[in-house]
Amino acid sequence: MTTNEVGSVSAPVSLTVNGTTVERDVAVRTSLADFLREDLRLTGTHLGCEHGVCGACTVLLDGAAVRSCLMLAVQADGTAITTIEGLAAPDGTLSPLQQSFMDHHGFQCAFCAPGFILTAQTLIDRGVPLSREDLRAEISGNLCRCTGYASILESIEAAITEALGPLADSNGAAK
Amino acid sequence: MRASLVGKLVGSSVTRKEDRRLLIGKGSYVADVVVDGMVHAAFLRSPHPHAEIVRIDAVKARRAPGVVAVYTGEEMKAKTNPFVNFAMLAGLYSPVFWPLATGRVRMVGDPVALVIASSRAEAEDALEYIEVEYRLLRSVGTIAKALSPGSEQLWPKNGGNVVYEHTDTFGDVDAVFASAEHVFTERFSSHRQSNQPMETRGCVAEVNPTELVFHSATQSAHSLRWILAIGTSRAGAVDTLKALKANRARLKSFGKGAKEFLTANQDELSKNDNAGMIHQVRRDPSTLRHMSRLFANTLAMDARHLPRVVAGDIGGAFGVKGHPSREDVAVCAAAIDLGRSVKWIEDRVEHLTVGGTARDETITMAMAVDDDGHVLGMRADLVVDQGAYPAIPFGAPLFTRIMKVMMPGTYRPEAFELRTRVVATNKAHYVAYRGPWANETWARERMLDIVARRLGMSSTEIRLRNMYGHDELPVKMITGPTLDIEMSAKATLERAIELADVGAFRNAQTRARESGKLLGIGFATFHEAAPGPPDYADALLPGGGMISSEPIRTVLEADGTVSVFTQQVPHGQSHETTFAQVAADELGVPFDQVTVVFGDTNRTPFGLMGTGGSRGGPMAGGGSMFAARDLRKLIVDQAAGLLEAAVEDVEITDGTIHVAGVPARGISFADVAGSVRREGKAELASSVSYDGGRGGWVQATHVCFVEIDADTGMVSIPRYVVVEDCGDLINPAVVDGQIRGGVAQGVGAVLYEKVAYDADANFQSSTFIDYLIPTAVEIPAVEIHHLQTPSDKPANFRGVGEGGMVGAPAAITNAIEDALAHLGVTVTEQYLPPTRILELMGVIARSAE
Amino acid sequence: MKFPGFVYHRPTSLEEAVELLGRLGGEAKVLAGGQSLLPVMALRLGQPEHLIDISRVRELDVLAHDEGVVRVGAMVTHAQVEDAPMIRRYAPLLADAMPWIAHRAVRNRGTVCGSLAHADPAAELPAIALALDASLVARSVRGERIIAASDFFEGFLTTSLAPDELLCEVRFPAVAPGTVTAVNEVCRRHGDYAMVGLAASLRRDSAGSIDDIALALFAIGSTAVRATNAENALRGRALTDDTIAAAVTALREELDPPGDNHASPAYRRHVAGVVLDRTLRRFASDAETISGDAA
Repeated sequence: MTTNEVGSVSAPVSLTVNGTTVERDVAVRTSLADFLREDLRLTGTHLGCEHGVCGACTVLLDGAAVRSCLMLAVQADGTAITTIEGLAAPDGTLSPLQQSFMDHHGFQCAFCAPGFILTAQTLIDRGVPLSREDLRAEISGNLCRCTGYASILESIEAAITEALGPLADSNGAAK
Repeated sequence: MRASLVGKLVGSSVTRKEDRRLLIGKGSYVADVVVDGMVHAAFLRSPHPHAEIVRIDAVKARRAPGVVAVYTGEEMKAKTNPFVNFAMLAGLYSPVFWPLATGRVRMVGDPVALVIASSRAEAEDALEYIEVEYRLLRSVGTIAKALSPGSEQLWPKNGGNVVYEHTDTFGDVDAVFASAEHVFTERFSSHRQSNQPMETRGCVAEVNPTELVFHSATQSAHSLRWILAIGTSRAGAVDTLKALKANRARLKSFGKGAKEFLTANQDELSKNDNAGMIHQVRRDPSTLRHMSRLFANTLAMDARHLPRVVAGDIGGAFGVKGHPSREDVAVCAAAIDLGRSVKWIEDRVEHLTVGGTARDETITMAMAVDDDGHVLGMRADLVVDQGAYPAIPFGAPLFTRIMKVMMPGTYRPEAFELRTRVVATNKAHYVAYRGPWANETWARERMLDIVARRLGMSSTEIRLRNMYGHDELPVKMITGPTLDIEMSAKATLERAIELADVGAFRNAQTRARESGKLLGIGFATFHEAAPGPPDYADALLPGGGMISSEPIRTVLEADGTVSVFTQQVPHGQSHETTFAQVAADELGVPFDQVTVVFGDTNRTPFGLMGTGGSRGGPMAGGGSMFAARDLRKLIVDQAAGLLEAAVEDVEITDGTIHVAGVPARGISFADVAGSVRREGKAELASSVSYDGGRGGWVQATHVCFVEIDADTGMVSIPRYVVVEDCGDLINPAVVDGQIRGGVAQGVGAVLYEKVAYDADANFQSSTFIDYLIPTAVEIPAVEIHHLQTPSDKPANFRGVGEGGMVGAPAAITNAIEDALAHLGVTVTEQYLPPTRILELMGVIARSAE
Repeated sequence: MKFPGFVYHRPTSLEEAVELLGRLGGEAKVLAGGQSLLPVMALRLGQPEHLIDISRVRELDVLAHDEGVVRVGAMVTHAQVEDAPMIRRYAPLLADAMPWIAHRAVRNRGTVCGSLAHADPAAELPAIALALDASLVARSVRGERIIAASDFFEGFLTTSLAPDELLCEVRFPAVAPGTVTAVNEVCRRHGDYAMVGLAASLRRDSAGSIDDIALALFAIGSTAVRATNAENALRGRALTDDTIAAAVTALREELDPPGDNHASPAYRRHVAGVVLDRTLRRFASDAETISGDAA
């Protein structure tokens, strides 16, 4: 990108999405979410509120969960993004976390699913010990309107247990 | 569990077919739909609750970058037919209104103009260039104001803001109240709430050379199709007549269809007098003119413009997407007008503002009781705030009919009276929200606790004493429907009392109070027509049985799989899984061999109900069973010929058709399908229209335990128990998910969620920072216990979609009052945020409304 | 809810950023993490003509403890602060605030300086800055200016930053030994803005008498405020039932909070006292530094 007297209303971006390098010109006002959904046709990332509260648009940016509705696509220049489409194996085999959601009837309408799954993936990746209360707090930035959360918590707990061992009994872990 | 068992699928928590695509981001929600040449819609919406539109100037907007077209209200009016209510109730005035506001805006968010542009961003940009001059009118922001004679009228033709009034009386109410030892009266009020599914509303009107495809997140594809047809078929009288003349075949086929419908529903139709229509036309004679025009327009419309409605995956709805919207019609009309595909995806601010709201109601309830706590009579005065516009095709007035039937619950008052009024205010419209009648349960169950406390009884004793027990069944509710022998409300209560261990709780409560902690327990018992007994519909309203059957079609496909076609449009309820479980068990085939087909009006059987009313399991699940059973007969007949065996000797094992005892010499379903084709016969298929059989009730008791922080008013729910009986469980994980989801929305309703307006109807909760959907931290674990009362009903499934939300507000508010009872607190409001809790406790002064 | 159009600038040096801001002034907004600015734009409550993205300005990445001062640069996110052992050690009150701020996905992008510059009266960080007497370093083509926190927050979403000034860094004095700190708030849901919140820092001398105290309240008015009367009621005294009660009374008397859909004025006033009472009781019963979940 060049910054000249006027600045830019569109700009080239280069980033990695689910392991593939992507280069595009985008309007600078395009959110990362709209860039993924419309320019790249990765519609697994959902827009639930577009003001940063519901978490449905959560993606991983260099491994950290972020709201893709509260980022411009140009801000993602040079980063590595993982979307929900990037978790299953190329042959369609579900990731352990996805499989756990299937086994436990984690979702109903599943509109919120990409956000919960990616948020939960960071809990596994970070490997920080969690209690059940911590787990509730950690996913409280993602809203689900169908399930009452019990099945989501069960799905994540089972996947964490598989990957890292059982959750702590009490709220002993450091915040 | 994984679905490998054949013939034993019903009753097990088979993993969902839906999840394969949804968990990897390959679902297809309406926002994901992209078609060639698509342009984007955005609506300019009123910032005022009530105003006259003096002038609209869209010149600058039409010239803005990317703009394809701008439609003002008057311009859209010229291209559409208005919304006219077809389900007229006696005493109901239903205003005629248009897709966009014309002349007047009546709520914040009222659509005033529609911009079509090459991107949503540009469409939003252009909204800012439209100049609208408003002349503000006094607004009506509360039920009290709507009822006061001097208030500004929203619909002057009606004469006042009461748009529906009706009184239903059962038994000698005056005599019962006059002779009762005690009469207790309270006025209950619930606040405006909203469904708020995680996916907003939206549509793509796809105009292609051969057809108009309307992609939509709709709960009811067929009813949306016909409302779009009516709304967008506007044409001049001459053109309409010409088209009708040119297309005699359509007229004829319509005439035939109408005749069939009239014949089939003769009995039901004859119950309905025309009092509703007469009431309406007296107030607004133009109703008839509009009705005859839109009827002729629809008959005459260009077949290419009769939309094919297609619903894909839907991100939740809870009732709100069962209502075709004004925006749907406007977008569809614009697409037809422009000859271009148009996409509209509602944003969250729009959805919070005008997507749909519910339950803004007051119920003044009197109970006549004797010294022993027997409820002898109930009398209630219900006022519902339906907002500015009526919902389409029906809304608050119809839901009050359900409240009328259900309000006595499974108790046995000798007399009951309900006065109902529905008022118009300058708020967003009232839609179906999960158990739209639920406040009858809330008010009754709240009132029972209040009466019990005043009589010095326990809240469980007053219920046990008044509730119909198994030995009294069958019996008719005072409002009409039969409580059949499977009605087990009292059994759920008795089991709940055991599980709750009330004695131990009371000890803990007393100890806790000594150390300054407030604990409470609340019970609520209800029954729900899901689908209700055969005499339920008639109790609702005359002719109510007309649309109560559910069509299902099963087909043996060429590859040997079986398709189940349904007019249901699932949006989280797992129909693809549960209907397949039922059908696969009937057919004796593996789960993977059955596919459920939904959402496309070109492929699915006609039905106007869509998914709603807790009908999926009992009606369509039952229908799937019988349609699969019929198909099995056809398959066995055909296979008998191929196997050279008698029909009664043919068995199906694990998807293989064989002579009894000789599975090794079996043939496959594909073999049967192939033979049908080779013989030149029609495909094997079965269509049923299932009336619900003997139907029945779902019943449940909820027990909520609360802990209240006496210093901050924060309420937490350490334990929540549901004991319910929905008959046979098709898929227990699906059933439990429905119950938990409903309870969560009930928790939200009482503790967190409020659609906020000031007294002048200025809207104050347009973001998710204002309207609080509870998170995983706030929602308690819910213990669920299932009772299954033995039954010989052939398809003993009953619906569970709504009950969680019906029971929860009552159980939670009862528990809160129990926790505060020693302070003399009576809870009559449904919304109890921390501020209100401290006000009730007398810790802080009550704030001005 | 698509972002309105703007012209985007991505300077790669502080000099360039400041020069741009000097030239574009009131028409430009600085974009760091965007977690406050972008929702405002999505709702079209703000439509800056220019955005200056400072993410490539390396000078703003500083997160350091130098000679008794904790420095947090303009591009440092909440998550970086949350995860830094140095912050827990030298600015424990700042660390205490982190779990209360929205959710991890927001903290992963949102910046400490961005939150301060946004000056939301219900946010935690302005109160932390007030409680710790932080210094805010502003840079413009006119030079560098150091603004005391007490002079920084002027009103609802309003600071004393000039239109051409970039908030480059916030500096917190490192905590003195023996200080106890806590952030405590009451909110509707986990992660929400507070209905009322308190950032508290307190040190006692060897006799148990309070020789340093800071009480900053948030979500009780148009800006976060220091509860001066409550502080005075405690300074020089030990934490006892009586002094705590006196401080709570003083606090309730000095507040005049607004009402909104989440809490009434009377609620805020009452619960501010509750939060203070609970926090002080925790301090009284716990000599160690505690984290802020006393509610």
